[in-house]
Amino acid sequence: MSKLVIEGLGRIFPGVRGGKPVTALQPTNLTIGNNEFVTILGPSGCGKSTLLRMVAGLDRPTSGQILLDGRKVEGPGADRGMVFQSYTLFPWLTVSQNIAFGLNEKGMPERESREIVASYIEKVGLKGFENHYPKQLSGGMQQRTAIARALANDPGVLLLDEPFGALDNQTRALMQELLLGIWEREQKTVIFVTHDIEEAIFLATRCLVMSARPGRIKADLPITLPHPRHYTLKTAPEFSALKARLTEEIRSEAVLAAAH
Amino acid sequence: MRPLEPISEGRKVVLGLSFFVLFFAAWAVATLGGFVSKTFLADPITMVKDGWLLLTKFGFAADIGITIWRVVGGFVLAAIVAVPLGILMGAYKPVEAFLEPFVSFARYLPASAFVPLLILWAGIGETQKLLVIFIGSVFQIILMVAVVVGNTRRDLVEAAYTLGAKDTGIVGRVMIPMNAPEIAEILRLVLGWAWTYVIVAELIGSSSGIGHMIIDSQALLATGQMIFGIIIIGIIGLISDFLFKFLNAKLFPWRLA
Repeated sequence: MSKLVIEGLGRIFPGVRGGKPVTALQPTNLTIGNNEFVTILGPSGCGKSTLLRMVAGLDRPTSGQILLDGRKVEGPGADRGMVFQSYTLFPWLTVSQNIAFGLNEKGMPERESREIVASYIEKVGLKGFENHYPKQLSGGMQQRTAIARALANDPGVLLLDEPFGALDNQTRALMQELLLGIWEREQKTVIFVTHDIEEAIFLATRCLVMSARPGRIKADLPITLPHPRHYTLKTAPEFSALKARLTEEIRSEAVLAAAH
Repeated sequence: MRPLEPISEGRKVVLGLSFFVLFFAAWAVATLGGFVSKTFLADPITMVKDGWLLLTKFGFAADIGITIWRVVGGFVLAAIVAVPLGILMGAYKPVEAFLEPFVSFARYLPASAFVPLLILWAGIGETQKLLVIFIGSVFQIILMVAVVVGNTRRDLVEAAYTLGAKDTGIVGRVMIPMNAPEIAEILRLVLGWAWTYVIVAELIGSSSGIGHMIIDSQALLATGQMIFGIIIIGIIGLISDFLFKFLNAKLFPWRLA
């Protein structure tokens, strides 16, 4: 069953100061099934974030369209939750108020939203930090709150734009396990943008590799590693084989991108 | 001393107070030591004596009261008009394009230059005093609030959109709470400027207030009284600053967290 259908989606940015227009994304077709965990892997500047932002409705396509559950995406909405690379928690709200933000926007009564908030605080392991302000949290905790905030809205699809990009390696690995654990338990359609090959394999049920300038999808491969996945999987031979293959795919692109 | 190295709370207070002490000492040496003529500058002791006389014999407390009332009245009126306008300008670009050029122009019109005109329009009563402060403050607040709101972090706005916020929610539940401390800071700053305008308004065509007392004292060459009046304004400013800061810390604990 397809959850998200992308048809001929392209984005051209107008040239800056009389310069040539830049094709960020060539017209792209893509169908994502229900509860798939899709990672989009590519070098920086390959249009992967542009693609994600258009799905979120934060950027407008120059051509093509996006259908979520058969309905055309016209702008941002609560049915597509997003976690950003930068820390985007609302600094004036506490952890639980941040998680409740979307529920309040929906007009959900506080009694109901409190239960949902409490359950997500539990799921992302932030018990005891409910009343902390974002400033008082580490980067990893802030991103965990951001994930909880997006999930509390129960979006049809969860979009993540290099959410762990600013975290140190150890925290990053733990966050991957946390996110994967939530996905394995709850099942959700996820699109996860990253430039980290290991991350792209470990999390995904399907990995898309993008090429740079102009951006397009050059490889689409299923990741059939069994679930539930354990962090030791990262050293398994089949994981290494995938990693070797994706490294080749992405390396030629990175070389091209660097040449520009 | 090294660049940006913090200092302890206690040292901060001592250093802050010691400049006051130094200032008064220099003043006392210059005047009591006979370096400056009494006609031009009263010594600190005369100033305090004159001040006491003003407060006990000449009802100066009522003057202080009326001046504070004027400043606060004009300033509150300006804030009521300016803060919502500034928020609208910051949030909606067409509103900004419509109002910004005029407000930028009006900001440079000196409030003091309006005093004679306002006397013609509104007489020398309270309305005129309030209007001087209003004109002096309103455009400044509008512009500064518009800039602050216009610079709201884009990624926070986008995050709110992806959480289902609509346009009014973006303004009401992201832009306003995000920038509220900044807006309070702007108000604190402009309130300081409003004190300049009130004295200017009271120097001309007034029968009460601190400014009126200062101009009266000039006629009598009572420099002690004049300086006392000026110092009173400084003290009131210091108190209002302190109140603003205290209120900010209470209202916006997330900033200090």
